Amino acid sequence: MTEQAKEPKVEDIKAAAEGKGCPVQKALYFVTEFLAGPMCGRCFPCAMGTYEARIRLQNLVEGNGTDADLRALRRIATDMIDASFCKKGKDTGKFILDWMATDVYREHAEGRCPDMQCASLIEYRIIPEKCDMCGACKDVCKYLAIHGEKRKPFKAGYFPFEIRQKRCTRCGECIKVCPTGAIVLVTVKAKEPVGV
Amino acid sequence: MAKTVNLKIDNREVQVPEGTNLIDAAAAAGIHIPNLCYMKGMKGIGACRLCLVEVEGMKAPMIGCTTKVREGMSVNTNTEAVQETRKFVIDLILSMHPLDCMTCTKAGVCNLQKYAYDFELKESTFTRKKFGYPIDQANPFIKRDPDYCVLCGRCVRICKHQGTEVLDFNGRGVGSRVVTANDKPLQESSCTFCGSCIDVCPVNAILEADRWRKGREWEYEKTSSVCLSCGNGCSISVSTKDGSVIKINTGAPDGSIERTICAVGRFGFDSLYSEMRVRKPMKRVNGELTETTWDDAIKTVADQLKAAGEGAAMVSSASILNEDAALLKKLAEAAKIKNVDSSASLYSGYDAMKSGGADLEAADLIVLAGIAPDQWKRVLPALDAVVRKKVNSGAKLIVISSGDPKIAAKANVVLKGDEVKMLMELGQAIISKGTKAPKEMVEALAPVNPSDEAVNAAELFMAAASPVILAAPSLYKAAANLSLIKGDVVAVPLEANAKGVVAMGLTSGGKKFSEILSTPTKVLYAIGEVPVSKRPATDFLVVQASHLTDLATQADVVLPATTALESEGSIIDWLGRVKQVSMASVPSGDAKQHGSVFIAVAEAMGTPLKPVKDTDVKKAAKAKAKAAFSPFKKDAGHDVDAQSLMDETNKMTINGSRLLWLKELECAAVSA
Repeated sequence: MTEQAKEPKVEDIKAAAEGKGCPVQKALYFVTEFLAGPMCGRCFPCAMGTYEARIRLQNLVEGNGTDADLRALRRIATDMIDASFCKKGKDTGKFILDWMATDVYREHAEGRCPDMQCASLIEYRIIPEKCDMCGACKDVCKYLAIHGEKRKPFKAGYFPFEIRQKRCTRCGECIKVCPTGAIVLVTVKAKEPVGV
Repeated sequence: MAKTVNLKIDNREVQVPEGTNLIDAAAAAGIHIPNLCYMKGMKGIGACRLCLVEVEGMKAPMIGCTTKVREGMSVNTNTEAVQETRKFVIDLILSMHPLDCMTCTKAGVCNLQKYAYDFELKESTFTRKKFGYPIDQANPFIKRDPDYCVLCGRCVRICKHQGTEVLDFNGRGVGSRVVTANDKPLQESSCTFCGSCIDVCPVNAILEADRWRKGREWEYEKTSSVCLSCGNGCSISVSTKDGSVIKINTGAPDGSIERTICAVGRFGFDSLYSEMRVRKPMKRVNGELTETTWDDAIKTVADQLKAAGEGAAMVSSASILNEDAALLKKLAEAAKIKNVDSSASLYSGYDAMKSGGADLEAADLIVLAGIAPDQWKRVLPALDAVVRKKVNSGAKLIVISSGDPKIAAKANVVLKGDEVKMLMELGQAIISKGTKAPKEMVEALAPVNPSDEAVNAAELFMAAASPVILAAPSLYKAAANLSLIKGDVVAVPLEANAKGVVAMGLTSGGKKFSEILSTPTKVLYAIGEVPVSKRPATDFLVVQASHLTDLATQADVVLPATTALESEGSIIDWLGRVKQVSMASVPSGDAKQHGSVFIAVAEAMGTPLKPVKDTDVKKAAKAKAKAAFSPFKKDAGHDVDAQSLMDETNKMTINGSRLLWLKELECAAVSA
């Protein structure tokens, strides 16, 4: 029993992966956990294929994905289904391939996460017109990513509030406290400009 | 005979024995199914997935190495789907393999290179992975470079299969590595440096340590020959470049159980070029050994032999070739020398050396009677590997020994105690189960009361279809009685051509080997590396050897002989088969093969010898003793310590090669 507790089964990982919001992240989580746990390493397509798939999925999640990654993933997944020794490898291939049917992977390769989950593909922005410079967001930001100055009636000029993207961890706390709805979540490489 | 099965592979009709797998069946039809992890003669593991083929009527592709042939099967080895899978796997492997084929020693014989060529992969389409593992090259024998490893597992499997159990995987999948226990360098593990892993590695991950810039496979000339270092007489394949030996690999056919050679056979060739080689004839002048000409040396020896007449004696190593042995016999007759013997009589009676052979491949029970092969002590190492391989693939093992051999740990039943007594108990246990046996044997064994172990062993013996008894020569007659009931019995000599030397008639009508050495002689002519280090009482000592042995330094005349790798002829190996020894390397200096020296000596004595014909050897090899009942007794006077005899006869090979490094390491380990 203890050994079973140590080594998670493919189904458990699948269930845990469902907790992730974005399909690409689901696949990445699944593949990473699969490599760490149930993969036996006995046959080459599965052992080497999942390793390569992890690299490619990582690329997609981090916003470095290209068409080549999509092609590679499709090839890995189909070949794993065909050539793996056991059901575990075939299931992993299927898990990756199931989402290939939708456009989610392609969207990632083009730099958009439709579910707004992949940190490298999204960013928070403050729309200056809506911002009333209350400073609530600045107070709540743990990472000191928001710069700006609270409006003081006696002052003429001011620093507008803005988010430093390099510091922002996309934790989403600021958006919760903004009273005016001035903070929006946008895709970095959006098809149409958002909130401008 | 096994049933044959008809099937179609790529539309070619193939007929193979039942139970063959698809890779072997396709090979029989001249079709190569790509594979990296499959080893002929061992069970397939289906890891590399390169051998996937499509079988008509099957939805999914099948693995060639584990799928057995069936009547009427139709196999397609070359469909687009399986080609894509193969290309995919090779592509993935290439992504973690250094692409330096231009300087790689294995170029030309590398399977990965071959498949990359076949699938037109200039480089991997996948992400390049680099690991930068440390290289294990602290020993002069085997270099392991994990960066080149394709994780096929062949080295791990062969190492486990032959019982050395040094290598294993650490981790799984990409990033795993072939390691020794605790990832120690090889010399700190139980490695015997037999190099079986070198033979099976498909890439540059495991290689002879000194191969860098020594030419690549296509530059080598390959010669099939035999290693004469011990009683196993293993087939070897010698690679030479410009007349000098570069490497030695096992020469047994692919898939054969005898496909193992030991460190002495593989790396001992260094001694060809050692400083201890005798390259010119030498003669003692004023107490010093000084170089002389062949003519002078031959004349001196001939004169001495002539003068001594019957007072002369000859002793020979039992690892000289058949042709040389026959010529020596003729020389002795011409010179009227009665006392001529080979070192075979140290450990064997002449009759035992005329014993027949056995089919090791078919054997399902092996009985070791009084012999203790040991890879680590280098006592008949190849035999130890064969026995361990047999046991690992399901054969049973009975060890009969008064000592405590390492191989006993592998045995199903160990009969510990006096070997003859144990053989009698085993025989009686078999007879008491109602098996038919010759009348004399039943009578002789009637008073014996078998122990429980003997009864267990008897059950194994009865259950076996073709038991093979491998006996020490001194126990041959006693053990042969069992073969009257069932199976084959083989007397295992300690020197490569002991059976051949005896078959060629090099047997003493007068004194035996040890007697010759212990009684004073007028002239003593010692041939080959005889296990003697102190000059026996003799007026004139002639030593004819390839190296300056201890005995040679005390000789009056030293004649340079060729080594086995520089000689041409044949031997009769321990299983009674005639094996051809071919000249792989040019003789060093003025060295001559033993036989041609004998001819020259005889000529100088005025009694020319007739040459030996091939047919003489073949005829002699065919003559086998017929099995008949003989009393359960041990041949007296043939007790030697196998290890010290082997150390003695291989001393020059070991001291003159990189094996000295290993020997010193072992000595240091013992003293520490």
